[in-house]
Amino acid sequence: MAGNKKIHSQDLVKLLEKWSQDFTVFAPSRENGEVLMREWDGKDTGFLEWYRNSTQPPKDAILPPLEKMFAFHKEKEGYRIELPPEQRRRLLFGIRPCDARALTIVDMPFKEGYEDPYYLARRQGTLLVGLSCTRPYDSCFCTSVGGGPSDASAVDVLLTDIGDGYLAEAATSAGGELLDGAGLADASPADEAKAVEAKKAALAGIGRKIDTEGLKDRLLSCFEDREFWEKTAAKCLSCGVCTFFCPTCYCFDINDEMVREEGARFRSWDSCAFSVYTQMPMENPRLEKWRRVRQKVCHKFEFYPMNFGVIGCVGCGRCIRLCPVNWDITRVLDSVPAAAQS
Amino acid sequence: MATDTAQRPAFPAGGNVYLPHIAVIEKVIDETPAVKTFHFNFKDEKLRQEFTFESGQFAEYSVFGVGEAPFCISSSPTRKDHLEFAMQRVGKVTTALHRLGVGAEIGFRGPYGNCFPLDVLQGKNLVFVGGGIGLAPLRSLIWNVVDNRDSYGKIDIVYGARTPADLCFQYDLDAWAKDGSIGMVTTIDREHPDWSGTVGLVPKVLEEVGPSPDNAVAIVCGPPIMIRFTFPALAKLGFTPEQMITTLEKRMKCGIGKCGRCNIGNLYVCRDGPVFSYAQIKDFISSEH
Repeated sequence: MAGNKKIHSQDLVKLLEKWSQDFTVFAPSRENGEVLMREWDGKDTGFLEWYRNSTQPPKDAILPPLEKMFAFHKEKEGYRIELPPEQRRRLLFGIRPCDARALTIVDMPFKEGYEDPYYLARRQGTLLVGLSCTRPYDSCFCTSVGGGPSDASAVDVLLTDIGDGYLAEAATSAGGELLDGAGLADASPADEAKAVEAKKAALAGIGRKIDTEGLKDRLLSCFEDREFWEKTAAKCLSCGVCTFFCPTCYCFDINDEMVREEGARFRSWDSCAFSVYTQMPMENPRLEKWRRVRQKVCHKFEFYPMNFGVIGCVGCGRCIRLCPVNWDITRVLDSVPAAAQS
Repeated sequence: MATDTAQRPAFPAGGNVYLPHIAVIEKVIDETPAVKTFHFNFKDEKLRQEFTFESGQFAEYSVFGVGEAPFCISSSPTRKDHLEFAMQRVGKVTTALHRLGVGAEIGFRGPYGNCFPLDVLQGKNLVFVGGGIGLAPLRSLIWNVVDNRDSYGKIDIVYGARTPADLCFQYDLDAWAKDGSIGMVTTIDREHPDWSGTVGLVPKVLEEVGPSPDNAVAIVCGPPIMIRFTFPALAKLGFTPEQMITTLEKRMKCGIGKCGRCNIGNLYVCRDGPVFSYAQIKDFISSEH
């Protein structure tokens, strides 16, 4: 792979315009006070002035909140099924390393066993141009769960702010081709040195830590500790904010809509915070709130490690920042009792 | 005993696992006032020839415009003329299904999930314990075993329902009662004017029947409350958790381990089940089922 490149700040718009010829480019954008990854407006890169991270994780570009799986038409000879058209390739510009890593975690269930064609088509058709996180939030704890503010393991290209522009490192061959085709200058040793400093400062900015040592076993051990879970769930409103804004949450519902002879099957995000999520006609295994909170915590920190060997959390801190009652996952994890000695 | 977790062919329509095949209803049987059995076949002749499944597997059935719901395939793979599924009218999709008649088209994806471990069951004495509509997955296996009778030991069936009118698959119960090689006990929960047979809850009647655990496996399916009380009853008779098999039901959407909701601990009922040994789920079942 060729060496690192430098993108001068004044060339960035031209670069995004160039990439827009081959991709639908997504970039941070402000809508009603929320920061969302949306189709780039083609105007400027002013978002870099205020962008820290998106309110809603960029997973919505890969797993949309609502998507049509197929349409069906009732005709004389019976039902006819029609797939939605294929989508243009996408480029997510400015995704943070934590959110890119989250996609590798969501990939696991969607790739395992029967492949999910909708998710994987979008995922494979999307390039990730990440931005090293130079201004993390107090609530960020990525380094405790296997990531870091300039972790390049899940992006195609990692950009790091070096003052007068960005150091661009290709992390995959697709990222290398993207940079090679962009006619960029090679980075100088001084640029490289500035990037190293910026990354060091970012790493030092992650102040929050959790202890994940033995966490899986501690959770397994207290699975039936109803008192602990009731206490943990006490102030939760079951609003689902922590799941909808979580970059690794992927649960979905499937529903039909039909008007006369035309209909479609849709999938939409769902949440383990809602009791209807597991509601069966005559019973509900998670009717009580503490069972749902337990499911949320254990899914990420116990079941994901058991099934896939990784923690299902990237430490982006959104669930902490956005919770209306200040429920704090890091405090919950710190309060899990020590595993019972067997 | 580990249940079988091999991934079986799911016959995805056009390579997309979420696209349903079109199936046509060929016969509707009223089992009880709230339970119906549907006989169906695929519209596509080629799929009709190629389709395979194992006892214990399930599928996602849909009424277009209303939605999808999971039910086991209740017929036996040894009987290939058509496929069957049965369900109680309880929600949106089942109510829409109950309105359908012969000739109606439904969506079908599957088969999904694992199956009863026939290789483990062969040569064993089998104790089937069922309640209500829970007989649907068991009857697929029972007919499978009956059609290969020489490969299995003694067969005992304990089946119960709340009232005589709630007994499903009466034609099967009659056939098994007449089969000299099967020990068949049918029970209802409480005394009833139309009933002169055994009375009592399934776990209690099972204890009275008292099948031996020697070289035996018990296969249990019914309402959660019945399943919960049947495991201790079997344990009292000397069955180990490895000798108890059940098939579970949860709210499901995708049927293939993606949508998230059907887990018991780290296991997904759709992906790792629906067939489990009690040994696999006993750590989680007290509070998750």
